[in-house]
Amino acid sequence: MTNITECILVITLLSVLLSLASTRLIALVRIMALQGIMVSLTPLFLKGHESLGSGALIFFQLMILIKGLLIPGLLYMAVKRIAIKREIEPFIGYHASILAGLVMLIFSVFITSHLRLSLPAGHDMVLITAITTMAAGFFLMMARSKAITQVIGYLMLENGIYLIGTALTKHSQTLYVVEFGVLLDLLVGVMIMGIILHNINSAFDDVDTTLLGRLKD
Amino acid sequence: MIEFIFLLPLATGLMALALPATLGRILLLITALLHLQLTIMSWMGSLTPVFTSYFSTSPEGLLILMVTSFIFVCISLYSFSYMKESEMENKPIFICCMLLFLGTMSMVTLSDHPIVLWIAIEATTLVSAPLIFIHRSKEALEATWKYVLICSVGIALALLGYFFITLAMDLGNIDAPLTFSSLNTVASQLDPLWLKVGFIFVVIGFGTKMGLAPMHTWLPDAHSQAPSPASALLSGALLNCAFLGIYKTHILMHVAGLGEFSGNVLIGFGLLSMLVGAIFIIGQPDYKRMLAYSSIKNMGIIAFGVGIGGFALYGAFLHIIHHSLLKSSLFLSAGNILLGFGTKQVQRIGGIISYLPKTFISFFAGFIGISGLPPFGMFISEVVIIVGAFQERRYVSVGLFLLALTLVGAGIGRIFMSMSYGETTEKLQVEEKTLRLLPSYALLLASVGLCVWMPDIVYTTILNSIKIIGGTIHG
Repeated sequence: MTNITECILVITLLSVLLSLASTRLIALVRIMALQGIMVSLTPLFLKGHESLGSGALIFFQLMILIKGLLIPGLLYMAVKRIAIKREIEPFIGYHASILAGLVMLIFSVFITSHLRLSLPAGHDMVLITAITTMAAGFFLMMARSKAITQVIGYLMLENGIYLIGTALTKHSQTLYVVEFGVLLDLLVGVMIMGIILHNINSAFDDVDTTLLGRLKD
Repeated sequence: MIEFIFLLPLATGLMALALPATLGRILLLITALLHLQLTIMSWMGSLTPVFTSYFSTSPEGLLILMVTSFIFVCISLYSFSYMKESEMENKPIFICCMLLFLGTMSMVTLSDHPIVLWIAIEATTLVSAPLIFIHRSKEALEATWKYVLICSVGIALALLGYFFITLAMDLGNIDAPLTFSSLNTVASQLDPLWLKVGFIFVVIGFGTKMGLAPMHTWLPDAHSQAPSPASALLSGALLNCAFLGIYKTHILMHVAGLGEFSGNVLIGFGLLSMLVGAIFIIGQPDYKRMLAYSSIKNMGIIAFGVGIGGFALYGAFLHIIHHSLLKSSLFLSAGNILLGFGTKQVQRIGGIISYLPKTFISFFAGFIGISGLPPFGMFISEVVIIVGAFQERRYVSVGLFLLALTLVGAGIGRIFMSMSYGETTEKLQVEEKTLRLLPSYALLLASVGLCVWMPDIVYTTILNSIKIIGGTIHG
């Protein structure tokens, strides 16, 4: 079972690095779909979660549907509607971004090995992936100027938090409630930001957040 | 069934979507009154929670629920007249979101499960964002974007903080239900390192929502762009709810023996917020932003008082009540001024005393109150916090506190003088109406009234909220 988990986590890590390097928004949305599916599959293959009830299985399927299909679908529609193909002027260039992603990866390995947590076998890798995903999400939000890329960064941050939640907490106590919380957060992200994206586009003819600089002291 | 307190506004909020605006306004007022009645019933103890693993009544929650409910009645009365006179494209959405906002905030005050608390606070962001965006200007769009993005990220970090706290439970081999009340009984077995990490994340996360510096950047924009009743609700009620999340975690830290650590974190954030608020108030060209920065300063004072503990903790709770009353009254007066003159620029407004004499009274009284002068309650709460801080020998902190207070007094005073007595370039567009004056008078009177005579039940509730972490009223 550990091998499958590791494969999934490695794919998640690769998707993080790819998302830092991708210039085309459509490609970025596809990567997010892959990452969403991988992230929501992870708890199924972790040790200690094997005795899942039928209710939990349905919940995980729901997670896969939402993270892997619904949210990327909405993002896809948003990208189509605003008719922007690529991020033209990122604050930080793509090569530098990949380099930063690798630094984050090394850093999270470093943190995980220094925490000395008594995690069950296989959970170390989850923690590494989770921290990298979160850091990369933050990085995307800060390093890109298009509103839609910032939304994607936020969703990536959520994926990271979900992974940490599954890696760290025992499911007996927080089952459903944690998942529900993360789902709600994702809905906030997609619904409101989707509406706002549309409005930013029609108000400013662009989704560049550097245009949002009127309110200041 | 105490869950009615948040289910009722949620249900009527959804109903309001289907009703025309005239009926919706009446629904808003009726729901507000019913909510107040339910709140009073829950104070009497005649309502009990049904889902006990998620909801319960805590004294601090009840206190904030009461403040929220009272303010909401006043604001709904104000909105009744405000909605007629302001240009709003989609009034049913406004009413719906106001009610949902009330519902989610009530849910925050009643929740006992950390994750449910978190979900409720997240939901407040979701339902209040349309309120900020209601005027659909470019500025409103920018404010909403910042609000949603910054607060969602902040609150996501708070969720991470609660994951760390559950990790602290696992490491301590605790098999108790994940609720604040049961965690408090087993707090000493929690793993201290992860509890500390969790607390830091919770403070950063909910501190974003509460408006603590340096995570406050969304607050002035959102408060200045939202329509005035919504600003009053954001400032007077929402910030308290976010504070409640921090306070419950602070209690947990205190019971676990880490009270000094969490107190120092809160003092640090509190002082920084006070200074940031004070510095930005001076020379502020926009009076609604000025009020927003004043909220940041006051949230700093509350965090500071809670961090110091003891006698100051009592002051902090008084400050929560009086800040909510005075600040929402000021935002409502500011709404009258904005309707009257049609601008938020201090420079273009003048002579309120002759153009809007009745608004001038509430604006003037609010100014006296918010500067911390008697007879309003903020005077008492600030004195109590200062005395409490002296007792704990925090002399440097008290010095900074007083510096911030002086700066704020000077900054607000200058703006207030030029608005009240200066000359204006604008013409008066909308006359003042009694219905838009009574709520701010009522809020101010409540603040004065609570100084002169505080009902015993309020007094004991405050004492019960602070007892668990060593707050007293005997210096």
